[in-house]
Amino acid sequence: MVFSSILFLFLYLPVTLAVYYLVPARWRNVWLFAVNLVFYGWGEPVYILLMVFSICLNYVSGLLIGKHRDTDRKKARRVLVVNTVLNLAMLFFFKYFDLMARTLSAIPGVDIPTLGLSLPIGISFYTFQTMSYPIDVYRGDGHVQRNFIKFGTFVALFPQLIAGPIVRYKDIAAQLDERHETLDKFASGVQRFIVGLAKKVLIANNVGMLWDVYADAAPGQLTFMGAWLAAIAFSLQIYFDFSGYSDMAIGLGRMLGFEFLENFNYPYISKSVTEFWRRWHMSLGTWFRDYVYIPLGGSRKGLPRQMLNLLIVWALTGLWHGASWTFLFWGLYYAFFLILEKLFLLRWLDRHHAAGHVYTLLVAVSGWVIFQQTSVSQTLVFFQAMCGLGPAGFCAGQDLYYLSSFGPVLLAACFASLPAGKALFAKLPEKVRAVSVPVLILAVLTVSTAYLVDSTYNPFLYFKF
Amino acid sequence: MKKAANIAVAAVFLIFIGAFSVLHFAVPDREFSEQENRYQQQAPEFSFRALFDGAFTSKFETYTTDQFPFRDRWITMKARCELLSGKKENNGAYYCGDTILADYENPGRDDIDRRVDYVNALAEKIDAPVYFGLIPGPTMINASLLPKNAPTDDQQTVLDWAYHRSRAAANIDLASALGAHRDEYIYYRTDHHWTSLGAYYGYTAICETMGLTPSPLSAYDRQTVSEDFCGTTWSSSGFTWVAPDTIETFVPDDGTASITLFNGREQLATPLYDTSYLEKKDKYSMFLGGNAPLRSIETGHDGPSLLIVRDSYSDSLAPFLLEHFSRIDLVDLRYYASSLSAYIAENGFDAVLVLYSVPNFTTDLNLFLLSL
Repeated sequence: MVFSSILFLFLYLPVTLAVYYLVPARWRNVWLFAVNLVFYGWGEPVYILLMVFSICLNYVSGLLIGKHRDTDRKKARRVLVVNTVLNLAMLFFFKYFDLMARTLSAIPGVDIPTLGLSLPIGISFYTFQTMSYPIDVYRGDGHVQRNFIKFGTFVALFPQLIAGPIVRYKDIAAQLDERHETLDKFASGVQRFIVGLAKKVLIANNVGMLWDVYADAAPGQLTFMGAWLAAIAFSLQIYFDFSGYSDMAIGLGRMLGFEFLENFNYPYISKSVTEFWRRWHMSLGTWFRDYVYIPLGGSRKGLPRQMLNLLIVWALTGLWHGASWTFLFWGLYYAFFLILEKLFLLRWLDRHHAAGHVYTLLVAVSGWVIFQQTSVSQTLVFFQAMCGLGPAGFCAGQDLYYLSSFGPVLLAACFASLPAGKALFAKLPEKVRAVSVPVLILAVLTVSTAYLVDSTYNPFLYFKF
Repeated sequence: MKKAANIAVAAVFLIFIGAFSVLHFAVPDREFSEQENRYQQQAPEFSFRALFDGAFTSKFETYTTDQFPFRDRWITMKARCELLSGKKENNGAYYCGDTILADYENPGRDDIDRRVDYVNALAEKIDAPVYFGLIPGPTMINASLLPKNAPTDDQQTVLDWAYHRSRAAANIDLASALGAHRDEYIYYRTDHHWTSLGAYYGYTAICETMGLTPSPLSAYDRQTVSEDFCGTTWSSSGFTWVAPDTIETFVPDDGTASITLFNGREQLATPLYDTSYLEKKDKYSMFLGGNAPLRSIETGHDGPSLLIVRDSYSDSLAPFLLEHFSRIDLVDLRYYASSLSAYIAENGFDAVLVLYSVPNFTTDLNLFLLSL
C-alpha cells in the first residue's frame, strides 16, 4: 500500500486512527502491530511471513545478546555475527541474487539461473532497521526489548516501513514503551503529512511525466534543452517523491505519538557534495556512518585508510539503491567527489560559495542521470546532449511545448526546494497563519484527491529499493 | 489561539478523510460510468486464494478508486487543474477551445510498410478491383487548432508512406477532399469520428476513384437526430465542460435497405439508424448499430456488390453508398477472424474497399487477415 492512494487516505488511515484513539493506551501497540502487517502484506501477502520471520530472528537475537553481553562478550558477539549474516543473506537473496547470477553467467562455462523473485517491499529499509537493534544492544546503546509486540511494532511500523526514514532502534526505543499523543503533535503531524502529500502527488508525479517523455529519446531526437529539461525534471521528481514520502512518514508518526528523525534538509541548497549528502537521505547516511564507516576505522587510521573506507561505504550505498551495476557506479561517482573534497576541494569551496552551488547542482543533476538510466549507452546520449554536442542540436519545437506545459510546475518545484517559502510563511502574523493553514490543508487534500481519483499515473519510485 | 488553530487543522483533516470514507460506503456502487464509457470495478469477492495471488488486493484498490464518491467531478477537476498549471493536454487529449483532439503516434515506416503489404497481398490475390482509402483523423485536418508545437505525430507522413507503398490497389485521396472543407463541421469536436458531413465529402472522393457520380449535397434531407453527443475524446480527456456535438443524418431510412447483422452467434435484422443508441452514451453507434463482425446490406437498388473492410468510420459513410450498389457488406477484421478471400470468392463481390482511419490503420492488430 502507498500513502498517496485513495485506499490509504480514505479507508486505511481513518480506520487505523479511529481504533487507535478509541482503545486504551496499552492496546495501542497491539493494534499498530496488526494494522502494520495489513499495510505491509497488502501488495504481496506472502511476504508477511518474511516480515514475521525477520521480527522473530532479531527479537531472539536481541534477547540472547542482552543475556550475554555483560557476562560472556564472546558469546554475545557470536550471536551478533550470526544475526547480521542472516539479515544480510535475506537481503542479498531477495535483492541481489539475480544480479549475481546474471553477472557470473557472463563467465564462459558458468550458468546460474535467475529466480525472478519480486522484491519484498521496503526490504532494504527494514533490514537495515532491524539489524540496528542487536548491534545497539550489543554496544550497550539500547536496552533489550522483551515485549514481542512492541518489537514487532518497531520493525513493521507502517509510516516508515516502505521508504524510510530508517529509524534506528535506539532512537525510538523509549517511545515504544511510552509516548504521548497530544493535540499539538497531532496537528503538526497533519501539517507535515499534507506537505508530503502535496510534494508527492502535485509535484513529483507531475514532473515525473516530463522525464518519461525524454528518458528513452534517440540521440537524433534529444536536444540540449530537452536533455536538461529531463535531467532537471528527474532531479526534482526524486527529491519531491522521496522527501515527500519522508514527510508523510514523519507526519503519520506524529499523529500516532511518535517522533522520527528528519531525513531531508533542503539538499539542493548545498555548497558542496559533502554538504549535499548531509542533507539528502540523512537517515541512510547516519546508518552507514554508525554501522559501517566508523567500525571500519573512519578517519582515525590515516588518510589512505580513510579513502578506502569512503570507497567501501559509497560502493555499498550505491548498491543499496538498487541491484544493478549502474548504482554501484553511481555510488563510486559520489565517492570520487567526496574524496576530492576531503583532499583539497572543500577548502577552496568554502571561499567560493557561488561556484560551490553551481558545482554541487551539476554533480547532483548529472548523478541522477547516471542513477536513473538503465543503460550506459543512454546515459552517454544524455551527457552528450547536455554538453551541447548531440546531433539533435540546441532546441526543437517539442521542447518549447514541454517547457511551456511544465514551466509553472518546474518553477514552483524549484522554489519549494528552497527554505525561502517556509521562512516567508513564518513571517506572516500569527492570525493569518492560523486561518491559512486549515484552508491550505483543505485545498491540498481536495486537489490531491482529484489527481489520485484520476491517477493512472501514480508509480512510487522508491518501491524498487 | 494556538489550541483553536490546532483543533481547526485536525478537524479539517479528519472530517475530510472521515466524510469521504463514510460516503464511500453510503453511496451505492455503480455498474457503469457514462462519462468514462467503461464498466466500473465492483467489490471483489474475498477468498484466500485471491488474497495470496494478489488479485483481491489489486481489485479492491481499483474498486475504491472507481467507486469513489463523485468520481466524475474529481476527474473533471483534475483536468481543470492540469490546464491551470500550464498543461495543454490531459490523458492523451489536447484541449483546443471547443474541440478536443487525440494525440497520434506514428509507429514508423517499417510498420506502415508491413501493414500496406497486407493490402497489396489482398489486391494481388483476388480478381475484383480493390480500393484503398485512409481517412485522416480529426487531429490531422484540425491541426491548426492544436496548441503551439504540440508533439503529436503528423498523419500526412503516414498517408504518404502508405500510398507510396500501395501498388495493387487504387488509392483514394480522402485527405484532399476533407482538407478542402476543413472549416466546415466535418469532424465531431468531442469524438474521434467524422460527422455525416465529413462522411459525405469522403463519399465524393470514393466516387471519384471508383468512377461513380456522387449525389450533390443539396439532394439530401438533413435531419438533426441528437444535440447532446459527448464522444470518446470528451470521455478520455476529462474536459467535460466542452459543449456536446450534434449528430445529423443525410440519407433517410425509408426501409428500402434491409440489413442483416451477424454478431458471431446469430443473424439479426437492424435498421439503418438504430435510434435506441441516442438514449445512451455511445450515440455514434446509431449508424448501422455499431461494431459487429459482419453486416450485409441489401440496398434495394440496382448495381454491383461491394465489400467494405471497415472501421467505425464506415458506418456513417455506408448510407451514402447505398444508391450505387445492390449489396454492401461490411466486415470488421477485429472481430471477423477467418479468411477474407474465401468470403470474397464465396459471395462474388464486384469490388472491395479497404477503408480505415489513419489511427485505426496504424494500431489494428488483425490487418494480416487481409493477406490470408
